[in-house]
Amino acid sequence: MLNSDFLAGYLSQSENFEELPKQSDVVIIGGGLLGTALSYYLATAGVEVTLLERNDLNREASGTNAGSFHFQIALHQLTENMTAADDKRLADETKLMLDAAKLWDEIEKELDADLGVHFTGGFMVAETQEEFQVLRDKQRIENVAGLETHVLTGNEMREFAPYLAPDLSGIAFCPREGHANPLLVGPTYAYRAHELGAKIRTNCEVIQIEQITGISGYRFKIHTSRGTILCNRVVNASGAWTAELSSQLGLNLPMALSGLHVNVTEPREFFLHSMVQHIGRRLTLKQTANNTFIIGGGWPSRAEKFPLRYSNIWESAAGNAAVAVRVLPMLKDVQLVRVWSGVWAYTNDFKPILGESEKIPGYHIAMVPTGFTLGPMVSKMLAEYMTQPGTQNLLPKEFHVDR
Amino acid sequence: MKAFDLVIIGGGPAGIAAAATAASHGLKVALIDERPTLGGQIYKRVGPGFTVKKASEVGKDYYLGEKLIAELDNLKVDIYFETLVATIEQSEVVVIQNGKSAERLSFRKLLISPGAYDRPVVFPGWTLPGVITAGAAQSLVKTQRVAPGSRIFFAGSGPLALAFPAQLSGYGANIVGIIEAAPRPGILKSIQIALSVLGNFDLLRDAAKYQLHLISNRIPMHYRRIIVRANGKNRVESVTHARVDKNWQVIPGTEKTVEVDALCIGYGFFPSVELFRLLGCELGYEESRGGTVVKLNEWGATSVANVFGAGDGTGISGSYVAIARGRLAALKIAAELGKISESSLSKLAAGFRKTLNRRVKFQSAINRAYEIKSGIYDLADDETIICRCESVKLESILPSLESTIDPSVVKAYTRCGMGLCQGRNCQRQISALIAKKQNIPISEITQATPRFPTKPIKLGQIADASIRDEKYFVDAE
Ligand SMILES: Cc1cc2nc3c(=O)[nH]c(=O)nc-3n(C[C@H](O)[C@H](O)[C@H](O)COP(=O)(O)OP(=O)(O)OC[C@H]3O[C@@H](n4cnc5c(N)ncnc54)[C@H](O)[C@@H]3O)c2cc1C
Ligand SMILES: Cc1cc2nc3c(=O)[nH]c(=O)nc-3n(C[C@H](O)[C@H](O)[C@H](O)COP(=O)(O)OP(=O)(O)OC[C@H]3O[C@@H](n4cnc5c(N)ncnc54)[C@H](O)[C@@H]3O)c2cc1C
Repeated sequence: MLNSDFLAGYLSQSENFEELPKQSDVVIIGGGLLGTALSYYLATAGVEVTLLERNDLNREASGTNAGSFHFQIALHQLTENMTAADDKRLADETKLMLDAAKLWDEIEKELDADLGVHFTGGFMVAETQEEFQVLRDKQRIENVAGLETHVLTGNEMREFAPYLAPDLSGIAFCPREGHANPLLVGPTYAYRAHELGAKIRTNCEVIQIEQITGISGYRFKIHTSRGTILCNRVVNASGAWTAELSSQLGLNLPMALSGLHVNVTEPREFFLHSMVQHIGRRLTLKQTANNTFIIGGGWPSRAEKFPLRYSNIWESAAGNAAVAVRVLPMLKDVQLVRVWSGVWAYTNDFKPILGESEKIPGYHIAMVPTGFTLGPMVSKMLAEYMTQPGTQNLLPKEFHVDR
Repeated sequence: MKAFDLVIIGGGPAGIAAAATAASHGLKVALIDERPTLGGQIYKRVGPGFTVKKASEVGKDYYLGEKLIAELDNLKVDIYFETLVATIEQSEVVVIQNGKSAERLSFRKLLISPGAYDRPVVFPGWTLPGVITAGAAQSLVKTQRVAPGSRIFFAGSGPLALAFPAQLSGYGANIVGIIEAAPRPGILKSIQIALSVLGNFDLLRDAAKYQLHLISNRIPMHYRRIIVRANGKNRVESVTHARVDKNWQVIPGTEKTVEVDALCIGYGFFPSVELFRLLGCELGYEESRGGTVVKLNEWGATSVANVFGAGDGTGISGSYVAIARGRLAALKIAAELGKISESSLSKLAAGFRKTLNRRVKFQSAINRAYEIKSGIYDLADDETIICRCESVKLESILPSLESTIDPSVVKAYTRCGMGLCQGRNCQRQISALIAKKQNIPISEITQATPRFPTKPIKLGQIADASIRDEKYFVDAE
């Protein structure tokens, strides 16, 4: 079984710095979770694949996130006035979550590696009566879709989670939620892909994607900081940079970026087994295996372009801390040690952009906002689409690139 | 929000001198320090419950400190004690006053003078109780009148390596031995230092006085020796030291062991550059001034508009340089804010500039003579803890060194530097390990991304319930 010491040694091993191949059936741009997972699933199907990463692997969103599986319906999926159509959409989204849950169930076996996967459950808390009603409404949708959640209030809630603020209006609990170690998942996919013959090249920035004709079998010439490579199919999995590279080809993707803020505290004796989210406010909170608390949930940081990091703003630390202390009062005496931030790409409807462009055949996109939870799943879906002719319908219409 | 012409972070010699100078030219000044008294390191005041009857009796530095602090007596300066600067955003500092919630102060100009901290040195046993830094020992004595042990051993390098034990011994502490890694100053070096010394006689005299004190008290002193191990079960019981070559590499077979109950480590200081890094000020690297230093122009301005730096926090240069730098920065700031004219600026500055040049010369000769050598980074064995906050041993770090020149990668895979001290203790050791493994100079190794808060703060003090999050995912810009 692989462990983290081993991976650290592999990460930038010399092969990654070797010359680019002259050509490859598929070129993947981006070595985050989506790119690395895809390289693995394509390699298992015997596809000739080369992955190009500008920096080291897993250093952007996939290496800076909290590593939580968000399966419950969450704040960002809700709209002001929920209609029947919304119910249907939420049910579909929940089914996708269930598929992802199944994949996470099996991933350590599949990759023969310890990835820190644990299913320890997740809370969704409500402060107001309206929020509590949302918990009940979402539970109905989730249970129909097949995701087990329980809603508790009053003494029952206080007994089940005595550490949460006793005056919360209620909580939902989903036993299937959990987490994995984000520092290990992507690199492990890359390592397994490399074993299967995929070529992983780091410190290789894609500068231009040129459409070509005349060289039989190749539709694209990829210009990089380390030379050019010909390919038949491209997958753009460059996370926050997906839109920028696509605009070179005249594609206008419905996506935007933000920096996301995370607070991390000193360690305290372990007691919080399950992750905590809020149905009405920005909060995700959990106690890690190192006994520290990681607190985030969508508070912004200042967006700056590569190679600058996304820099934190105090207001986010303060607002985020307030929500966290409100929900888990013991936190008020726990010290904040550090903040960090990562770049986060999202779509305006929070749906993935997944599949092949109809306008530019051969050009694919793999991008998803809750990319840790869904990354492996959507990469697997895209790999199936790319390896099994006539599987157009595998990818939901709402995910289409040219939508 | 309170607004100031000038906010000064750090109430040591640099900050006090700057505050006094700026206020005397009519600027509205805030002086912030996380400690309960002014004085910084060298001029540290005694702790609560203690009084000093006559400053001159406690030592020259105490007296000088009292004089400097007294300059503020008749001036209007808002002093914020027990107040930590957690971060700086645009033209505001975010401060946390003891026990209270975060607050903001706005400034037109900012002077950062946060001083330095002791250089941590990693060797087997360095985390044993009873092993402390020389500066911590000095603080104990200065503020609490407590000696760290009854058989105290000093290991270090530099002029303060003598000053510390001499001061402690002056308070009656039992010093059983001192080792200095540098050679006994030879004739050449003495001439070199003497040449730069015009006007620095007091400093030389101090050094001679310390040495004399040690000799007359029969405290054994050995040159060219370095600490290699602290031994003991639950606390330090003995220390082993050995002779070194000119790169401070241990010469095998020269080890000696001494029974002690306290070991003080004094291999110099690191500038506290965190706030400068957060702001993106341009930095440089000078081993002889503590490693990472802040680039300043002749007035102390950093590369970031309206931000000045002074004192050891910008590069180790000692308290006299700190004071001169503090005053020059304050004058320039007063001129930029229209309180003094350009012509009187150069007149007022002339005296300080002369002191500065003289002191800088002396200090750089000293710093060069005692520059840290690479052997200091080679003392750990596989079992030695490198990151004491997260208990990470050398053996668990070695695999990640194979493949990267980025300490952030090492950090991500080993948790080295993720704990309470945020790498203050282990970061340089990691950089040195990478530099050695990859055969590049340590000055070229990047550092982990700077982030707030500068020191740990309770979430309850940070939390601000008035900040709402109604709009999901708004961009900060
Ligand atoms: C702070 C934070 C917390 C989060 N928490 C969670 C969570 O708990 N659960 C969850 O499900 N999701 C979470 N997310 C979202 C999730 O992390 C992302 O959706 C996911 O990691 C995206 O993966 P990716 O591979 O698409 O992007 P990335 O990981 O960003 O990978 C893109 C890669 O492309 C490379 N690249 C870019 N341009 C080029 C170029 N021109 N040439 C070559 N390479 C290039 C980049 O260097 C990068 O390595 C969080 C995100 C953040 C920022
Ligand atoms: C432990 C130690 C012992 C020393 N002993 C001697 C000695 O015996 N003889 C000698 O000649 N020199 C000594 N020095 C060197 C001497 O102290 C310095 O040269 C001199 O103090 C530098 O002055 P300064 O104003 O730059 O910094 P300092 O005197 O260190 O003052 C900096 C002040 O800034 C405050 N501060 C820092 N960060 C923050 C923040 N984020 N928020 C709020 N406040 C902050 C600190 O509490 C401190 O009071 C010592 C240095 C150290 C570190």
